Amino acid sequence: MWEVMFWPIVACVLLPWLLVYLGLHVVQRGIIFIDIAMAQMASLGICLAVLFHLDLQGWATFSIALGFTLIGGAIFSVTGKRSSQIPQEAVIGISYVVAAAAAVLLLSRAAEGDEEIKNMLVGNILLVTPHEVWKCFALFVAVGVFHFSLRRNFLLVSFDRDGAYQKGLRVRWWDFLFYAVFGLVVTSFVRIAGVLLVFSYLIVPAVCGINLATRISHRLLIGWMIAWLGGIAGLFLSFWWDLPSGAAIVCTFGALLILISFFALWQHRRAHSIGISDSR
Amino acid sequence: MKNYFRSQVVAGIADPGNRHHRCRLQLLAAALALLPLVASAKLNVVATLPDFGALAREIGGDKINLVVLAKPTEDPHFVDARPSFVVSLRNADVLIDGGAELELGWLPPLLQNARNPKIEIGKPGRAQASQGIRLMNVPTNVTRAAGDVHALGNPHFTVDPIIAKAIAQHIAQSFSALDPANAAFYDANYKKFEAAINAKLQEWGATMLPVKGQHVVAYHDSWPYFAHRFGLNIDIFLEPKPGIPPSPSHLTEVIAQMRAQHIKAIIVEPFHDRRIAEKVASATGAKVVEFSQFPGGLPGTDSYVKLIDALVSRLAAALK
Repeated sequence: MWEVMFWPIVACVLLPWLLVYLGLHVVQRGIIFIDIAMAQMASLGICLAVLFHLDLQGWATFSIALGFTLIGGAIFSVTGKRSSQIPQEAVIGISYVVAAAAAVLLLSRAAEGDEEIKNMLVGNILLVTPHEVWKCFALFVAVGVFHFSLRRNFLLVSFDRDGAYQKGLRVRWWDFLFYAVFGLVVTSFVRIAGVLLVFSYLIVPAVCGINLATRISHRLLIGWMIAWLGGIAGLFLSFWWDLPSGAAIVCTFGALLILISFFALWQHRRAHSIGISDSR
Repeated sequence: MKNYFRSQVVAGIADPGNRHHRCRLQLLAAALALLPLVASAKLNVVATLPDFGALAREIGGDKINLVVLAKPTEDPHFVDARPSFVVSLRNADVLIDGGAELELGWLPPLLQNARNPKIEIGKPGRAQASQGIRLMNVPTNVTRAAGDVHALGNPHFTVDPIIAKAIAQHIAQSFSALDPANAAFYDANYKKFEAAINAKLQEWGATMLPVKGQHVVAYHDSWPYFAHRFGLNIDIFLEPKPGIPPSPSHLTEVIAQMRAQHIKAIIVEPFHDRRIAEKVASATGAKVVEFSQFPGGLPGTDSYVKLIDALVSRLAAALK
């Protein structure tokens, strides 16, 4: 089993930490589906590369895909106004469907089957190669350092927008920076692990953390635990019952979230009955 | 290696009272625990697709452990990998694949992860079904501007019974080379299969004779070999280009062609969108015929001969 599951397990240990952290931002901002919209933007870029018969593994294709995620980031930072009638989630949803539909149109003209594009975009965690894991890990470390060094402003913009405006931060510019880096992270993780997993790693650990704790550092720690537990347990289940690995991990996350929600409810009830929450 | 271990096992069990042998038996047990693959008497055979699996079963019978990766109702272009696929490939003595890029989307990453030198291309453990077969519709230029075209030619060749015989023979030769002790068994099974196909070919030909020369519409270009064998024309497709979903203007064109040529049947496979075929059928009065390239893809078709039986009788009935 180790021979088969070793690199998937390494991937599930080394990579999710950054996604959990970004997930806290994403959940706080209430833009849950941004990762899928971003991944779809990148795939639209790759469809364009197919249309021009570019090498799908080459730098030109990567640059186009990255360019499209930057366009996505620009759209989301411009539309995320302080007081807008239109919720950000609507813009994200529209971007997703239009990008998906445009990809269908491009492909029908490019007339190249979608096998290669699917391969290119949607990875399978079971089949990761050591090279992919290390490359992604290096990128995540770089992004992690970037986020850590600018954490004050990034956190302010996500968690206290009014405060950020009052302090005179250029919120839109910080938004754009956040989305651009986020797009890079999501696109590279999707190529390793697929769309379902990227979504789960972003959202489920963050929601579990929010359920159980109030401080960001505590939420992050809880999220990391959940991410490791869900990823590794999911891989084991996938091996024992011979299930598709990505889907097994996602369902394990679902089960963990249910357990944690019950635990949080029970904790809340107990706090009530002792009267702690009344004296707050 | 295989035979060596087996003779040791027999020697050890035949004389259990002998201390030397008992000691050797313990050593052997340790060796067996370490090398379960080498010690297994049966060939571990992996087939990528159910048609190759069905042929391998005809030849190998109970002398092989057979694992078939794709399900018969699954689109052979897209197969979801599971952990057992990697394990099976890692433990395989023989891998039977199409060799004509049909599995291009999913087999290479699996092989990369399995890292089994025995089944690399060119090794005796790799049987590529397309070897020695002249593929149809080889594209003259490989720009792939004509859709998701397979550069080596159309890879859906097993549905021609004469090609199936050649593949079965190829499989029998591979098994015999790797497991010479059972060579006679594999050869006899091949002869049996060959005789069954030869007998059936006349029957199938007779059933198809009244409908010979008719045009048939298919969802995907999977049937040139079948059409060639039975004298049909399966050259209009619901897909405008292989792998591209049907567009309204293309379907309109197909409907016009079907009316002009009085085409009576549209064949679809389990993984295609049947509703599109039904829409076109209701516009033209044609019948939708459920087809499958793979044994097991239609009810009651667990062997190759039964599959061709079902295809021939279904199509003949629809075209009458």
